[in-house]
Amino acid sequence: MAEDSTYTDLLLHVTGEAVFTGDRYAGSKMLYGKVVTSTEANARIKSMDITRALNLPGVCCILSAGDIPGENQLGTVIADEYCLAPAAVTFRGQAIALIAAESRETAEEAAGLIRISYEPLEPVTDLETAMMKNMLIAPQRRIVRGDPQTALGKAPHVLNGRLATGSQEHWYLETQSALAVPGEGSGMKVFTSSQAPSETQMVVARVLGLRKNQVEVEVNRIGGGFGGKETQANHVAAWAALLARVTRLPVRLQLRRTDDQRITGKRHRFISDYTIGFDDSGKILAYRIALNADAGAATDLSMAILERAMLHADNAYFLSDVEILGRAYRTNLPSNTAFRGFGGPQGMAVIEQAIDRVARFLGKDAASVRQVNFYTPSHQTTPYGQILPDNHLQTMFDRLVISAQYFERRKRSDDFNSRNRYFKKGIALTPVKFGISFTTSHLNQAGALVSVYTDGSVVVNHGGTEMGQGLHEKIRTIAAKEFGIDPSTITITPTNTTKVPNTPPTAASSGSDLNGMAVKNAIDSLKKRLIPLAIGELANRNGGISRAAETITFNDNSIFSGSDPGVRIPFPALCHKAFLKQISLSSTGYYSTPGLFFDREKGEGVPFHYFAYGMAVSEVMVDLLTGEHTLLRCDILHDTGRSIHEQIDRGQITGGFIQGAGWCTLGEIKWDKNGSLLTDGPDTYKIPTIGDIPSIFRIDLLENAPCKGTIHSSKAVGEPPFMLGLSVWLAIKDAISASGNHETEPEYTLPATGEVILKSIEDIIKRCPAKGLPPLEGEGGEGS
Amino acid sequence: MQEYSGTIRFILDGRVMEVNFAEAPGVGPATTLLDFIRSIPGHTGTKEGCGMGDCGACTVVLADVTDGEALNYRTVNACLILLPMVHGKQVITIENLAQRISGELRLHPVQELLVGHHAIQCGYCTPGVTMSMFGIFKNRATANAEEIGLALSGNLCRCTGYEKIREAAMKIGGMADDDQFVASRPEVVTRLKAIAEDTSTLVIRNGKGFYLKPFLLREALDLKNQHPGAILLSGATDLTLKHTDREKRDLTYLDLGAVKELQTISTGDDHFRIGAAVTIEQLRLFSKIHLPPLFRILNRFGSQQIRNVATLAGNIGSASPIGDALPLLIAYGASVTVASSVAVRSVSLEDFITGYHQTQIGQDEIITGILIPKPEPGPVFQSYKISRRNQVDISTVSAGFRLFITDGIVTSVILAYGGMDKIPRRARHAEAALTGRNWTRETVELAMKALSNDFSPYSDVRAGAAYRLSVARNLLLKFFLEYSPDKTDHLISDQDHG
Repeated sequence: MAEDSTYTDLLLHVTGEAVFTGDRYAGSKMLYGKVVTSTEANARIKSMDITRALNLPGVCCILSAGDIPGENQLGTVIADEYCLAPAAVTFRGQAIALIAAESRETAEEAAGLIRISYEPLEPVTDLETAMMKNMLIAPQRRIVRGDPQTALGKAPHVLNGRLATGSQEHWYLETQSALAVPGEGSGMKVFTSSQAPSETQMVVARVLGLRKNQVEVEVNRIGGGFGGKETQANHVAAWAALLARVTRLPVRLQLRRTDDQRITGKRHRFISDYTIGFDDSGKILAYRIALNADAGAATDLSMAILERAMLHADNAYFLSDVEILGRAYRTNLPSNTAFRGFGGPQGMAVIEQAIDRVARFLGKDAASVRQVNFYTPSHQTTPYGQILPDNHLQTMFDRLVISAQYFERRKRSDDFNSRNRYFKKGIALTPVKFGISFTTSHLNQAGALVSVYTDGSVVVNHGGTEMGQGLHEKIRTIAAKEFGIDPSTITITPTNTTKVPNTPPTAASSGSDLNGMAVKNAIDSLKKRLIPLAIGELANRNGGISRAAETITFNDNSIFSGSDPGVRIPFPALCHKAFLKQISLSSTGYYSTPGLFFDREKGEGVPFHYFAYGMAVSEVMVDLLTGEHTLLRCDILHDTGRSIHEQIDRGQITGGFIQGAGWCTLGEIKWDKNGSLLTDGPDTYKIPTIGDIPSIFRIDLLENAPCKGTIHSSKAVGEPPFMLGLSVWLAIKDAISASGNHETEPEYTLPATGEVILKSIEDIIKRCPAKGLPPLEGEGGEGS
Repeated sequence: MQEYSGTIRFILDGRVMEVNFAEAPGVGPATTLLDFIRSIPGHTGTKEGCGMGDCGACTVVLADVTDGEALNYRTVNACLILLPMVHGKQVITIENLAQRISGELRLHPVQELLVGHHAIQCGYCTPGVTMSMFGIFKNRATANAEEIGLALSGNLCRCTGYEKIREAAMKIGGMADDDQFVASRPEVVTRLKAIAEDTSTLVIRNGKGFYLKPFLLREALDLKNQHPGAILLSGATDLTLKHTDREKRDLTYLDLGAVKELQTISTGDDHFRIGAAVTIEQLRLFSKIHLPPLFRILNRFGSQQIRNVATLAGNIGSASPIGDALPLLIAYGASVTVASSVAVRSVSLEDFITGYHQTQIGQDEIITGILIPKPEPGPVFQSYKISRRNQVDISTVSAGFRLFITDGIVTSVILAYGGMDKIPRRARHAEAALTGRNWTRETVELAMKALSNDFSPYSDVRAGAAYRLSVARNLLLKFFLEYSPDKTDHLISDQDHG
């Protein structure tokens, strides 16, 4: 395999040569940072004794709130999150002090020697209590259309219910990591695994009391982000920088896994109440939903996440009369944060559960009820007033039910269930419609810096970060196409705040959309400078015949006019010529998404540039005696527009789907009433392994569906497939339901762990004992 | 003050490397292989993802000489290996797979597969995945789809959804073994054998701990007598877990992993004897033919990296309430052989475990082996493990059953459960409800009810008490259905079998 192929990054990974934050300067003289955190969820700090820790050989410094030279503040949206708790703590795992020592072991030993005494206060560690006490973190938000109250009154059928959806730990393989290196004067360079280098720069500058131009933040690559390093990578960077400032030595701070799980926020758990009105065909006539999110101890991104949950409460379904309420509550837990889907999954899970109930209530196939409610060209306006121009739902449904043999397999599954008492199969089809853009409109911008050297090789730098989503490779593909040159002659350099300033986080699936456009614009500027030169050079080689600028093409590593494709200048030759002619070979590029606005008061606007669609069919088998399930087969059809890089897009779909399925089935987060995280390591918090993926796993990209107004007609792909994991959740529910011959609505929550599944089955058997399953109830000693 | 001492030798990067603990600053006997490797310049490819043996990002391969001239390659989690454990072995890290031949990068075949299948996203798990693929490559005589799944389930990846990794791994079976390790094998074997010639006990002592590594049983027993407080280890998978998280470093360790007499499985007239240093993986492969219910449970024991070093003796010695294999061993009527420098005794496993993480082992004793009676014709045995996740998870409930039916009557039965009490133990009430009665669903249902007299299970982070009791009962029903005389009430219908 040639080294200069487009596989450069993959080669680095597979040989172990790829440098992550924690690998920089490994083995050189540096200090190791450790954060000392609260063991109380809500308490006043009475005193802290660091004497013993400070006397430990190898300990260089210990810092607390009073040692912060700048502002003691991490919050990027709302300033309600201390860098180091000054006088009180509001969650277990909150940073109180920082230690720098000559080894990681010494730093950890020193942490154990610090004595902090607290005056505990009553904590609120569950969402129900926070809701009861109305501990809103910000005012309630509302989106309404039509007259849902009246429509519910008129609807032939009405169902209501409550759904709890669980939290989720990001479990990026690389824990939060930063390396702060003091520069000349008071300058600070921070190598970090942050999805938002510009925000990290801002936070570090604020905490150190510096101007932004004194802080340089660089991100080479991130070992998995998933949203967990959008705001919360700032913390570790700020802590490392504080220690580096005092010790004047490089300080590395990489969280141990259990610390990472205890300290950092997770996906917001939600409790949602809904009422759905519908007719005999299953058509939804009215829908009301109240989404209640557990924000944790600080605001962080909670309001944007809640907003996205509200904007996706419809998922793929037209709702004529609808009311969507959103509330986020403060609890004494780590501040919950961005996680792939960003509230979308929590909003969608509710309507998918509601429709599943409608189907069971009517005795209809759930996929058919979904289809009845899809957005159509005649019903294409979302509750917030945005129109869906190219809605692929019906096309995708038609293709997927055939390619996945949905109806045949539903029949086969029913037949299997009629023959078997102890195992049941279940099947479900779920769609996703996901809005692409930051709903905070001004974030939809990006910058790039493209430099061409006199040998025709190119360096591209842009504001996006590489975290495994293949952004750099996509950018390289885009740049290669724009310049008409070989991708192997293009290098993407680490994201750095001194190269491209003021960038938004790499988030909201927008990385290639925004940065790809910015790179294209930079290249367009360069081409504009090169074309007049090329016209002259081509004319020299073509007997003085000068061609119009519109005919000039960059292709095959050369420049030529479409009118005389035989006469060419090699790209490197043109670049060298430009240097001789004193033409600048470096250009910035900038892009902002046009036409976006959203009125949060009215709940109206055009928050999204476009929508990405997907659909999945999942089939499972459930063991009714143990509650275990096996994922048998998944068929996914996904809309990536005109894919920039099919292998990368397929990888995102597969990975997103399995991560979503993990949220729906496996990864349960438990806190005790004191706010202590019980699932604080990989031994208790489980993410899928290779043993959890289906043996038949088919992924297709929707063909002939170019997207208008995007980079190379592509669509974003990072988040949307996550929500297809709901098909696994509902397939399990279908199997549970089969244990009662689909006559009883199962009790169901998310995640559907073996315990939830078995309890639901037992509940059905209790309610219809005639089914003759084992005597699972009725005598003492049952426990609860 | 005791004098600092101890030098270990092993092969890294194709060369014999010596670590002198008396002189090496910052290195102690409890230093993990992961921390050590990453401290060597140019060796940051091996990653720390969890430091608890759960994610496999730190997977490296250890090779040791088996009988004759062969090398046995096994994947391990470097975060769970104490540095002295690699004495006398070849350590292969991700940096050793690709070669530079006259400046040109030449990937190892398994690396070609991962790149070619685009089975990489963020890349943080990739070095570990690659090393597990290398492990499969070196043991690919047995690499069918199921074994490949087992070999990779200890490598967590949060990005890819595994499909491309699986696709790549499935190609290994058909590949030729012509990598650079074939060429270097004779030299490696010679060097490792030279290291192994010195069979005097390795004594490592510095400010960070005291570590004893005997090679002969006699010496191991004497050392235990001299150092009754020493912590016994072989694979150290349980022990190291406590260390990566805590700062209990200054301890005495007695490593039994290199004691020759403890490394074999022997077959007697009426029993199998499993040496205390036999790995779970060795036992798993052995049990496939000889003890299928044990094979079934060992397939779900930890991960490949854990099975490659963990031992059954360790599983018993730590006396966890769950201990995947323990209920089945109780059902088999297994016994534990314990020895001191003056005596050897044998205790039934049931008696051996006395409480939560407690056994009746004496201060001067070590477990030398486990005796499993050969199953005589007649009784049936079965094992079950219920856990949140199918692979690499601690049991919520485990069970091992032995049933002997004569003329439709249950003549004897053992129903042993893990995860239901402080220790794995038998359900005497349920057994009594079955014994002497017809093997019918009615009797079984009575036994299921009786289980609530046997157990008042605990609720913990893994599951609630009610779930545990339901599952315990239902496993009994499942067992009945698997061995039911009633052909109308199948666990799964004939039509849907296979």
